[in-house]
Amino acid sequence: MNVYVPILLVLSIGVVFSLLFLFLSRALGPRHDTPEKLTTYECGVPTRGSTNLRFYVRFYVVALLFLLFDIEAAFLIPWAVSFRHFVQEGMGVQLFIAMSVFFGMLVVGLLYEWRKGALEWE
Amino acid sequence: MGVALDHPSNFMTTKLRQAVNWGRKYSLWPMPFGTACCAIEFMGSVSSMTDLSRFGAEAVRFSPRQSDLLLVAGTISYKQAPILKRVYEQMAEPKWVVAMGVCASSGGFYNNYGTVQGIDTIIPCDIYVAGCPPTPENLLSALVQLQNRVQHEGLDAVKERHSDSQTA
Amino acid sequence: MTARPLEILRERFAADLIESSDYLGDASVTVRRESLIDVLRFCRDDSRLRCVLLLDVAGVDWPGRKERFDVVYLLRGLDPGCRLRVKVRVAEGGSVPTACGLWKSAEWHEREAYDLFGMKFDGHPDLRRLLTHHQFEGHALRKDYPIEKGQMCYVPELLLTDEELSGGAARVGYGPDTVGLSDADEEIQSDFLPVNIGPSHPATHGALRVEALLDGETIVHSRTEIGYLHRCFEKEAEDHTWQQIIPYTDRLNYVSSLTNNVGYALAVEKMLGVTVPERAQVIRVIVGEMGRIMDHLVCIGANLVDIGALTNFWYFFNAREWMYKVVERLCGERLTTSYTRVGGLYRDLYEGFEDDLTLALTKVEEGLADVTGLVQRNRIFMDRCVGVGVMSAADALSWGWTGPCLRASGVDFDLRKVAPYSGYETYDFDIPVGENGDAYDRILVRIEEMYQSMRIIRQGLERMPDGPIQSTDRRVAMPPKDEVYNSIEGMMNHFKLVFDGIQVPAGEAYGFTEGANGELGFYMVSDGGGHPYRMKVRPPCFPIFASFNSMMKGQMVADAVATLGGLNIIAGELDR
Repeated sequence: MNVYVPILLVLSIGVVFSLLFLFLSRALGPRHDTPEKLTTYECGVPTRGSTNLRFYVRFYVVALLFLLFDIEAAFLIPWAVSFRHFVQEGMGVQLFIAMSVFFGMLVVGLLYEWRKGALEWE
Repeated sequence: MGVALDHPSNFMTTKLRQAVNWGRKYSLWPMPFGTACCAIEFMGSVSSMTDLSRFGAEAVRFSPRQSDLLLVAGTISYKQAPILKRVYEQMAEPKWVVAMGVCASSGGFYNNYGTVQGIDTIIPCDIYVAGCPPTPENLLSALVQLQNRVQHEGLDAVKERHSDSQTA
Repeated sequence: MTARPLEILRERFAADLIESSDYLGDASVTVRRESLIDVLRFCRDDSRLRCVLLLDVAGVDWPGRKERFDVVYLLRGLDPGCRLRVKVRVAEGGSVPTACGLWKSAEWHEREAYDLFGMKFDGHPDLRRLLTHHQFEGHALRKDYPIEKGQMCYVPELLLTDEELSGGAARVGYGPDTVGLSDADEEIQSDFLPVNIGPSHPATHGALRVEALLDGETIVHSRTEIGYLHRCFEKEAEDHTWQQIIPYTDRLNYVSSLTNNVGYALAVEKMLGVTVPERAQVIRVIVGEMGRIMDHLVCIGANLVDIGALTNFWYFFNAREWMYKVVERLCGERLTTSYTRVGGLYRDLYEGFEDDLTLALTKVEEGLADVTGLVQRNRIFMDRCVGVGVMSAADALSWGWTGPCLRASGVDFDLRKVAPYSGYETYDFDIPVGENGDAYDRILVRIEEMYQSMRIIRQGLERMPDGPIQSTDRRVAMPPKDEVYNSIEGMMNHFKLVFDGIQVPAGEAYGFTEGANGELGFYMVSDGGGHPYRMKVRPPCFPIFASFNSMMKGQMVADAVATLGGLNIIAGELDR
């Protein structure tokens, strides 16, 4: 259990600091809303048309792919950091195989997308 | 909102004011509203030889929402005037405006049917930098002058200076 | 060479020519309104003339005349390299048939003439104001419009009409078979998003505006707008003496002021018939090339920043600072130099100029080596730039392109070789020419041009002759002081020059040089006084930006930005 205390500490410091800065800006910063200030920024020109549109579907596909591979990277990092420790304990090969299986599944997914053309913009 | 700041006469609020102003002056994020030759000298100011980031003004943001300092670098024509006004209004307080170069300060040597004779006819302006274009040292000196002014401002000074923008 | 176009036109259109002249070697004809398009088409298509470039359309106001306005078409051919002016007269409220069917560049040039003078062009697809704002009343360059009468603009103009926005695909002539929609996406059609890439934007390099209709990332339809930096150079020129205009010329293409100064001085000297001494000519070549190097440094640096390669910008600006040191010591100013004078130069080279310049050039070479190492064979850069923003040679000529952008499209045309001035024919240099006309070629052409400019500068430094830097012609140069004090002629000469300025004989001429962006021309009309009657600047990036709209159709926003950087649109020159 003690191993997790530093993580909790970092987490709480992060949360405290973020809230502190938000609160400070709120308290000390001037706030002066005018109708013009609340308009959307579009290089100094009033906006045309509504932004409540149906967006191009490729944006969604790209976002989805990004999310998947980002989470994969998030899983890879702690594994990579602790890998050496496990090699010393003699469990290196098992861990490598375990990660390869995980990685392999995602690579198969990537190849599938590649073939299907999800990585092309047009 | 928050702390009562109307009479900063006691130790706590003075120190607070100094701390806040210290933070504000050393992180003046400029928005270069660059239109003409002065914009090139501004680019020279942020480049390696004369480095604006030494003064905290490195984070050059081209959006008024994310910047403190509107640096009008170049001539403003009548066509550009509504754009400038809108961009100024969209900036969040605290904000400051520096008119870089003589064209922004007073129209420069362009006294004609197309040029606004100084941006202070449209928006309130804090510092005027002379020069056509001002050298980077000139701009740095103006920035330091602005920092000195920021240091001595009250926390509510923004309301007095930009009171014109209260009228919609 | 120049007498021939006039003979050819006289032979063919004898009945339609009202006037023709060959003043100072410039062939110029005035034709009847009805035969204007025929004459222009002949000039473009005839094998002996082949004027493929419509350089400019200038208006001139003669309020005393019944047919008040002159509309002047400046034409140029690449090969055989002829150059001529076709003029037509039009009364107030009258109109002239449009030349848009002959050259695409006519569209914006005619819009500008309409904006500043008020003459209409029949058949023009989009005759609106260009440089002044949409709430402006009156026509600014008419002689009866007072120069100081400013008019505030309260609301930016809406470029895309409501029809275009609401109608979507059908209105703008875009269907599933055109680029952007694949079969799979037909079922999930997205709406078009109107986006304004406005005058306050880092990628527009100054004050340009594009209102675009986007389908995802692809630009389906767009309109561009300029005039956000219209500083009324031409009207100011009518108000100042010929020498006083020189600081205004700095601020045209403000990243290469030296080149503009040289161009302007040469143009006025052409009208006066003044030749500058040898030393001044060599110095002008050197500073002209320095201006070109400085322009390309900014252009490529900014282009690479837009693509995302920020480091190169710092490398190039470092090199530029070294050049600034030399320029500042020479001219007293880093950026807006005002170095030349009509008849010579402001001051002579300082002691140690050669060493300083040589050092600065080595720094430029270091910067170039760093940047080409990072960028030229870089996979990402090539993916972003190869095949992007392609402009074919024929289209480029129809759009009026000149300069490095035209050379990147494969046309070997450089005024320093075709119509050399200031002794360029005696220098040994090459003209880099691209193949595909894409953004990649434009960057590489500019990089190579910098190397060639350095070559020219080194040759110039080697051959630097001694001598005066100012012509002794009494029409432009002050007499020496002992003459001023001791002779009545000297004193009168001095007095006249100081009080009235240089007097240029009545007439008109077109002076041109190869500016950093292309052909920088000055079409000047003089009425014999100390002020120009009309000074029309032919800005090289004006026709280039006129074509940007058509280049962007079907491109993604990121590609449009990469293309725009390579075109080197400097608003000071574009809007004047």
